[in-house]
Amino acid sequence: MKPIIKLENVWKTYQLGKVELVALKGINLEITPGAFVTIMGASGSGKSTLLNIIGCLDIPTKGKVFLRGQDVSLLSEDKLSQIRGKTIGFVFQEFNLLPNLNALENVELPMIFQEVSQTFREKKAKELLISVGLGKRIFHQPAELSAGERQRVAIARSFANDPELVIADEPTGNLDSVSGKKIMEILTDFHKKRGKTIIVVTHDPNIAKYSKEIVNIKDGQIIHNHFQTEKVLWGK
Amino acid sequence: MGKIKEYFKIAIRNLRTRSLRSWLTILGVVIGVFLIVGLLSLSEGIKATINEQLKGLGGEMIFIMPGEMSATGMMGMMMGGEKLEKADITAIEKTKDVDEVLTMSYSSSVMRYKDEGKTVFLGGLGGQPWEKGAEILKRFQGWSLNEGRWPISGKREVIIGIQIANEIFKEKVKVGTQTTIQGRRFEIVGILNSLGSKTDDSFVYLDMDLYQSITGGGKGSAQIAIVKIKEGASLNRVAENIKENLQETRKRKTGTDEADFSVITSDKITKITGDILAIIQFAIVIFASIAILVGGIGIMNTMFTSVRERTREIGIMKAIGAKNSTILIIFLIEASIIGLIGGLGGTILGAGMAKLIETYGQVHPVFYFSASISPALIAFGLFFSFFVGCLAGFLPAKRATMLKPVEALRRYE
Repeated sequence: MKPIIKLENVWKTYQLGKVELVALKGINLEITPGAFVTIMGASGSGKSTLLNIIGCLDIPTKGKVFLRGQDVSLLSEDKLSQIRGKTIGFVFQEFNLLPNLNALENVELPMIFQEVSQTFREKKAKELLISVGLGKRIFHQPAELSAGERQRVAIARSFANDPELVIADEPTGNLDSVSGKKIMEILTDFHKKRGKTIIVVTHDPNIAKYSKEIVNIKDGQIIHNHFQTEKVLWGK
Repeated sequence: MGKIKEYFKIAIRNLRTRSLRSWLTILGVVIGVFLIVGLLSLSEGIKATINEQLKGLGGEMIFIMPGEMSATGMMGMMMGGEKLEKADITAIEKTKDVDEVLTMSYSSSVMRYKDEGKTVFLGGLGGQPWEKGAEILKRFQGWSLNEGRWPISGKREVIIGIQIANEIFKEKVKVGTQTTIQGRRFEIVGILNSLGSKTDDSFVYLDMDLYQSITGGGKGSAQIAIVKIKEGASLNRVAENIKENLQETRKRKTGTDEADFSVITSDKITKITGDILAIIQFAIVIFASIAILVGGIGIMNTMFTSVRERTREIGIMKAIGAKNSTILIIFLIEASIIGLIGGLGGTILGAGMAKLIETYGQVHPVFYFSASISPALIAFGLFFSFFVGCLAGFLPAKRATMLKPVEALRRYE
């Protein structure tokens, strides 16, 4: 199967004053449709950097990233934004909802950027909010929602444009265990029912249990894997 | 278009979240536009009023005053320091193509009415003013009778300004009554309509002969002469001829050829007035533009702060698919909304102020003029503020688009 995202010998270096920090050291990774992958690593292991590059939010210092076979370094910023908006959904640790918009509008926003018609947009956003169990809270502002509810809005938002890939960066990091469990159940459910590829980044082994495929990362390198299938490949 | 509508909604939402700051920024624009619209409509109004009065001149008048036409010369003329002598006036009268000459002298004097004595202005009019000069008076000053009739030359009759009739004395001055000036009795035969200012309306006008017998000035002399030229004659040519004749007369008399008089045509007055008004308007536009500029800087400041505060939001929007142009549009919409609301408020307040002053001016003749609030001025105020908003918002918006999504998201973590 053709990979959704493919990383070829990806390096990422940060310049911190005079010190050079190498966050990623020659990562090779392919993610094929339908996978539910967990990227595990301690704080500072480079997992967030890897996630940003997989999500096309950041570009590698060296190496290539292919989004559905397309070299992202050749795309203009606007084009990349549009493809990213259509292909990848994001769930962040801090939820990152727009505080001025209510739940429904937050879920509609990615569709507005893709110029989806209003009728379709509203229908889709409502459907998503209902499926994450927030059918009665669609007009609430983020400030009026609990942390768990906010993250559920964020999940609904990440699925708005029916992306092939949803990336969740420590989605339960700011939540209590009950809310966290609920979030992981929703993600698993969406993975099964909607057939989406999901990548979760975490340092929490309990979260990693939800996934069959785990990539361990340490010091900017992939060190170990627990793949039961060949959906995720890495080099050498 | 539907997209823009959505961005517009988002922009409004953002502005309302920072409601106090938004309103303060709007206030800055309001003040600038208020000044521009208010001052421009007033100065346009003043211009229109003056032009209307100048139009009354018919463009066919020549004014001759003693002294150089300068600030001090003007004062000299007003204070009655220098004079046109009888010989000068004769020289003017004899100039080719001169139709009528009306001479005037001014001074102040005490006027007694019933038991009261008040200081008023005394105006002597020479050259058969009521018969032949009346056309000049009506056309030049816009004189018209409110009550009574014009005096008859040779009789001890006067006409008075409306201010004297209604305001100065405790009792209203009536037509047909007697007044005493410098110990002589005169009959008040007419009251003039307002001439536009309190000063002009505080005059008692009488024959030059009577005036000179009261004030004791040299016979036949005057402080100003107004000339009406014959039809078809060239205004400038006649003015030149008058100047030459006057110079010759003076040379013969004093042996010098120093020109200590001014010959001005009504055209020239119109032009000078127009020039002065243009300068005033230019200054107004400059000052008001500075005010607008400050308003614009206010917008820029607010938008820059907003970009800083919303770095994370911008990152989120980019991550979920917003293009750079989308971010730019949202920020520009916000800035231009501030500009436009400010412009609207400023235009309404400015036009309101102009109307208010106009209303005040109609009650108090000193300020007599109309405000000119043209649709063009309103459109200008609105467009200008919108433009300033866009311009001021552009740099901050550009900065917002330049944020890398990953950096924007990392910020403030």
